[in-house]
Amino acid sequence: MKLYEYEGKQLFRDVGIPVPRGVVTQGPVQWQGKAVVKSQLLEGARGKRGLVKVTDDVNGAIKELKAQGVETFLVEEFVPHRAEVYISAMLDRRSGEPIIVASPEGGIDVEESKNVKLFSIPLERGVRSFDVLNVEKYLGVKGLEKVVKGLYRLITEYEAELAEINPLAVTESGVVALDSKVILEDNALYRHEELVSKFSRQYVADTYVELEGDVGIIGNGAGLTMATMDMVKLEGGEPADFYDVGGGASRERVKECVVKVGGNQKVKKIVINIFGGITRCDEVAAGIVEAMKIVKKPMFVRLVGTNEEEGHKILRENGIKAYADALSAVRDAIRS
Amino acid sequence: MVSSNTRVIVQGITGKEGSFHAQRMKSYGTKVVAGVTPGRGGTSVSGIPVYDTVQDAFKEHEAEASVIFVPAKFAADAVYEAVDAGLKLVVVITEHIPVLDTARFVKYAKERGVMLIGPNCPGLIAPDRALVGILPPRAFTRGKIGVVSRSGTLTYEVAEMVRNLGQSTVVGIGGDPIIGTDMPTIVKKFEEDPETEKIVVIGEIGGDMEERVAKMKENGEVKKSMVAYIAGMTAPREKRMGHAGAVVYMGIGTFNSKMEAFKRAGIPVARSPYEIPKLLEDRP
Repeated sequence: MKLYEYEGKQLFRDVGIPVPRGVVTQGPVQWQGKAVVKSQLLEGARGKRGLVKVTDDVNGAIKELKAQGVETFLVEEFVPHRAEVYISAMLDRRSGEPIIVASPEGGIDVEESKNVKLFSIPLERGVRSFDVLNVEKYLGVKGLEKVVKGLYRLITEYEAELAEINPLAVTESGVVALDSKVILEDNALYRHEELVSKFSRQYVADTYVELEGDVGIIGNGAGLTMATMDMVKLEGGEPADFYDVGGGASRERVKECVVKVGGNQKVKKIVINIFGGITRCDEVAAGIVEAMKIVKKPMFVRLVGTNEEEGHKILRENGIKAYADALSAVRDAIRS
Repeated sequence: MVSSNTRVIVQGITGKEGSFHAQRMKSYGTKVVAGVTPGRGGTSVSGIPVYDTVQDAFKEHEAEASVIFVPAKFAADAVYEAVDAGLKLVVVITEHIPVLDTARFVKYAKERGVMLIGPNCPGLIAPDRALVGILPPRAFTRGKIGVVSRSGTLTYEVAEMVRNLGQSTVVGIGGDPIIGTDMPTIVKKFEEDPETEKIVVIGEIGGDMEERVAKMKENGEVKKSMVAYIAGMTAPREKRMGHAGAVVYMGIGTFNSKMEAFKRAGIPVARSPYEIPKLLEDRP
């Protein structure tokens, strides 16, 4: 579950990471002096899109951004600073240990930066003073103990999969997190229900990812669904989404997925690619037929595996052709 | 990794998935000697005796491997129990296990010399000998291709396409960011396995396992022919594509970095899974 910036900063405060004085608002606020008005959206690159404003006229900026469709804002004091650095924490896939990722180039696209160093801090021992010293020396910044320990706690106690500060401002009186990017791990949320309710979020993990194209994609299994997207692209189409129905999907789940994908205005046709193992083809077919009552868009269905015969029969009786291989289904979809 | 002599315990055998797949493994010919579900000791599933603990099962049966169908909240306990009981191979089918739990039990198993496969994986099969997991038997015939994959359904798809060549062993290592046994380890096993002639690697975006496999080929650590497929060409950055591990953070493990690594190593990469059989036939 990706957090809004102000939610991430609330967690920062909880673990002792300094953040600017600020207020979350949906309308005009009482504010004296220079401030940063930051649109609260879950997508990145707000700065590049003009959705963050440094201003003396806070309510004017809010009005302007509201006109662009933004609903919630974080208004923060403007923090003069002499340098910006990058710092984050996550679990390293290979070692299975938490790492602190640091770069003296704050505000950068960390993927592009050459000056990035990883500091491994094993779970068994946790953050020690020499870890903090190592990071401080690399960044050329003092006073990072609270930041390093705080980020580490977000990974190991709050079970965030990513906790990032970019940039961390270096001021005369210490460091301040100017931004926050915190992603809590979906699989561990059941252990942190108080967090989800603290943020008044109703969060349900789902695999749906919306993309730019017009060909709706549904598959079972992450790999097969990705492969289907890629085939659509290679055949000259543009995928509109990624949607994995998951293992052993019921007809209700399949119906729900098709209705969701079909409900996207941009989607002109839908490719469904199922290789049934645990998943039963007859259940999938029944779900598709149910969804057809609501979604009136062409569907190209590849359906093989467990209970294939029954599945094909159900589709045939409802006027849908069942393909045996995905490439043919994709090709017909693109050419239609 | 598994043979017709491998004796298997099924943890979580009385659950919906556990009972169905225990029965299926048994009818495939796998030596399923016992099942474990706390509180259900003394019962049986498809003629397989059920015990409360792995220890209890061990008193009556010898076993080398365990396959875990226990729900995510309790899966870590099941792994520790299997490791402590002395099993040498532990296959974790369960998905949605919190990654910190996984990090801890993976380390625990490694330190004790246990081979852990998964979590969030379909398991492994040595066609005609043993099935330890949930792979659909119809896709597999005994042969000479070793297949290692991060994705379940793609594995079935590819296995079925290379049916006429047959497979030596097929291993689904799982789609989570932290897993017990990585791709390079399995590829090394295929390299040492006299039955395996060629290797198929099915990867996806995220992490650097595929790049490390390519490096092994480039360095000459792997002599056998290898072909690859990578899913996720069209995946946007920093978006998770279904699998917990299929996400690119810090630019590590993009589609392009994997493609380039394979290219450098001279390993042909299929544009779609359907190209794999032809690429395999083209290789010496």
